[in-house]
Amino acid sequence: MGSKIAVVTDTNSSMTVEEGKELGITVIPMPFFIGGKEFLDGVTLTQEEFYERLKGGEEIHTSQPSPEEVMKTWDKLLEEYDEIVHIPMSSGLSGSCGSAYLLAQHYDDKVQVVDNQRISVTLRQSCLDALELIDRGMSARQVKDELERVKFESSIYIMIDTLHYLKKGGRLTPAAAAIGTLLKIKPVLQIQGEKLDSYGKTRTFQGGKEIIMKAIKNDMENRFGCTDKCHNVHLEMAYTDDLAAAEQFEKELNEMFPGYEVVKRPLSLSIACHIGPGAIAADVSKKI
Amino acid sequence: MAIKEIDVKLFSKMFLAGAIYLDRSKEEINELNVFPVPDGDTGTNMTMTIMSAAKEVRDLGEEPDMKSLCKAMSGGSLRGARGNSGVILSQLLRGLTKAVRDEQVITVPLLGAACTKAVETAYKAVMKPTEGTILTVARGMGEKITELIENGEDDLEVILPAVLEHGYKVLDQTPELLPVLKQAGVVDSGGAGLMKVVQGAVDLFSGKEIDLTISDDPIAKVDDSRPGKIEDVQKNIYHAEIKVMLSKNVNSKLESDVKSYLNDIGDLKSFKVSGSEVNIDINTDDPGLVLQKAIKFGILSDVKVTCRLEGSKAKEAADSAAPAAAPEPKGEPTEFGFVAVSAGDGLAEIFRSLGVDYVIEGGQTMNPSTADILDAVEKVNAKTVFVLPNNKNIIMAANQARDLTTDKDVLVIPTKTIPQGITAAINFSAGSSADENEQAMVEAIGLVKTGEITYAVRDTSIDDHEIRKGDYMGIGDKKILSVGTDMNQVVVEMIAEMADDSSELISLYYGADVTEEDANALKDLIAEKFNTLDVDIQNGGQPVYYYIVSVE
Repeated sequence: MGSKIAVVTDTNSSMTVEEGKELGITVIPMPFFIGGKEFLDGVTLTQEEFYERLKGGEEIHTSQPSPEEVMKTWDKLLEEYDEIVHIPMSSGLSGSCGSAYLLAQHYDDKVQVVDNQRISVTLRQSCLDALELIDRGMSARQVKDELERVKFESSIYIMIDTLHYLKKGGRLTPAAAAIGTLLKIKPVLQIQGEKLDSYGKTRTFQGGKEIIMKAIKNDMENRFGCTDKCHNVHLEMAYTDDLAAAEQFEKELNEMFPGYEVVKRPLSLSIACHIGPGAIAADVSKKI
Repeated sequence: MAIKEIDVKLFSKMFLAGAIYLDRSKEEINELNVFPVPDGDTGTNMTMTIMSAAKEVRDLGEEPDMKSLCKAMSGGSLRGARGNSGVILSQLLRGLTKAVRDEQVITVPLLGAACTKAVETAYKAVMKPTEGTILTVARGMGEKITELIENGEDDLEVILPAVLEHGYKVLDQTPELLPVLKQAGVVDSGGAGLMKVVQGAVDLFSGKEIDLTISDDPIAKVDDSRPGKIEDVQKNIYHAEIKVMLSKNVNSKLESDVKSYLNDIGDLKSFKVSGSEVNIDINTDDPGLVLQKAIKFGILSDVKVTCRLEGSKAKEAADSAAPAAAPEPKGEPTEFGFVAVSAGDGLAEIFRSLGVDYVIEGGQTMNPSTADILDAVEKVNAKTVFVLPNNKNIIMAANQARDLTTDKDVLVIPTKTIPQGITAAINFSAGSSADENEQAMVEAIGLVKTGEITYAVRDTSIDDHEIRKGDYMGIGDKKILSVGTDMNQVVVEMIAEMADDSSELISLYYGADVTEEDANALKDLIAEKFNTLDVDIQNGGQPVYYYIVSVE
């Protein structure tokens, strides 16, 4: 009889606390500060309210879950479970992973913090993968090792409507920020491993979607060896604010990649805070 | 008595006479432009091309040798080539001189072979040769001379006038071969320019008195538009005093040439020749050019260069000059660099903001020469340099510059319009290889539609539009899209022709002759008429075209 293992993540997985519950995953809400007041993603702050305030020009700061909150969650789970697999957002983009790793030192080996560089829909998939691996009889440590072994087998491509928010958050080098300040240019960024890189540029939404779809196709064929018969990757997409545009993109993805079940989720608010509304992303991650 | 050969001296004079005839007729040739736009410049382009060579020929003096003469004709025109007709003219001269350069005199059979070679070379330089152009006229004359020689004719006094006459006959037929010419009621302008050159050469051969003085004027004009003078932060910031121990005689002609050159690149304070020594005192922005010129006359026995700016001012100038001036080739070359051709401060700024290293000031009204493009490519310190000609009449000169560059890879992206150039630059990705980038850029420029608004300089009928002098015209990628007397209406009608269901963004670049207020008013009008599309407006500052518009 294997040990009982819980899976924990945060709302950067594009899952709300409620949605996590349904899947058997514990989701810690990410905190925000708006005008000095703290809000919790999906708990005390809805997507609609968030975008309204973001577009209204309010200063929104993201933060990490407090150590207290994290330890409280773990302690509670350990009353029922033997071990915990904790999968926070990529260590390349947030300090959450590092803090969790430090906190876990106090739990002997009962809490395994996974640093597999995922975010949003790919992070959500990692949590589902963790459940699958636990089902297969792996220990928390084995799940961590397996997820970290395949950490590079995923790519996210994300088109941003405006550089305004990235610049505001200081997330761009001045040189990158200077590009396209005269013309309205939408950058397409790539997240692979811990790096957030510039991948392409476009002036039109349609052009950006084509860059993303071409990149996905290229990854499928050349990196993951997908064929018509072999769909060995998950195809997922995410968006900020504009659901209608996301639904259109979902349709186009389904047409271009028939046979894949495209998972569509809104991007987590702590990411949206940095990239602003009107962004669209798609990703592939290899099935375990 | 029959004349059976042409010696070097006569050949040189015939060439100069041809150049002078073309120069005299350049306005007449300009007016043969098919589109009635205020930039008909085939005559100007061809003249600048041939004058660049004529000046080099003139500098060889009265008694040139065949090799030097051919080198001057070929090299001068190759580097000075502007516009498609100019490039083709330079290739004709290159082929012609290649066939005769190792001989002392040009015999009748050699002249026949040289003409054939000239035509061959020119056809090869064009990717898709079009009949009914300068190429057809050149080929007609080449075939005529071959035919005459095969029929046993060996007297140049018979051959040359016959070839000339045949050339005019072919020129008159060009409207039959090229429908656009017929519709516009003109013969091909490049072909007409070529006939001026041949007419001059034949007239001189036949003994007509022609003043062969080649003035510096047209070339000086070229120098004024040279790149590198785009933005002066502070004029002539260096003071240079140079003493040269002469190794050759400086006659008055040479002296005036050098002085005029130095005045072009700076403010010449004094130029004193005393015995075997010259003292130059000049304020300039580029002391390197002064030294390069001076070193041709002897040993630089004393050189003093000082910066005229105070420390803090120099720092300021350096800071503000940095983005404007081309980076000096120093240190390790970067992987990729960009050269773009565009007219207007606003467009230049846009290209720089997209990462273009060097913007050549030029475009439809002023086609840069092959030498201008070479110069720009040389200034970009990169292993691979992408060139964006942004005008269909500059692509050939850019290709010629590519072929003349040996120390770096040059890739010409055949952008025919400013919006295509902007799209190409946007689609560049530093992480991809040169080939991948070339492919991506070429693919992307096919997806952007361009329209340009200007006015008609004469009455004409084209693409089923009746056009009156002074009308505004919206010119699309392939044809005239709209015509009328209300500029905004012409823009709106043009965009209606360009936009379709998949269109998303309309970009307007307003020219130097449009105020910001008028441009914004038009923007509002367009946003209202095309309310599902985004509209972006930018100050292009370009001459001639009130608006350059793209729909993508």
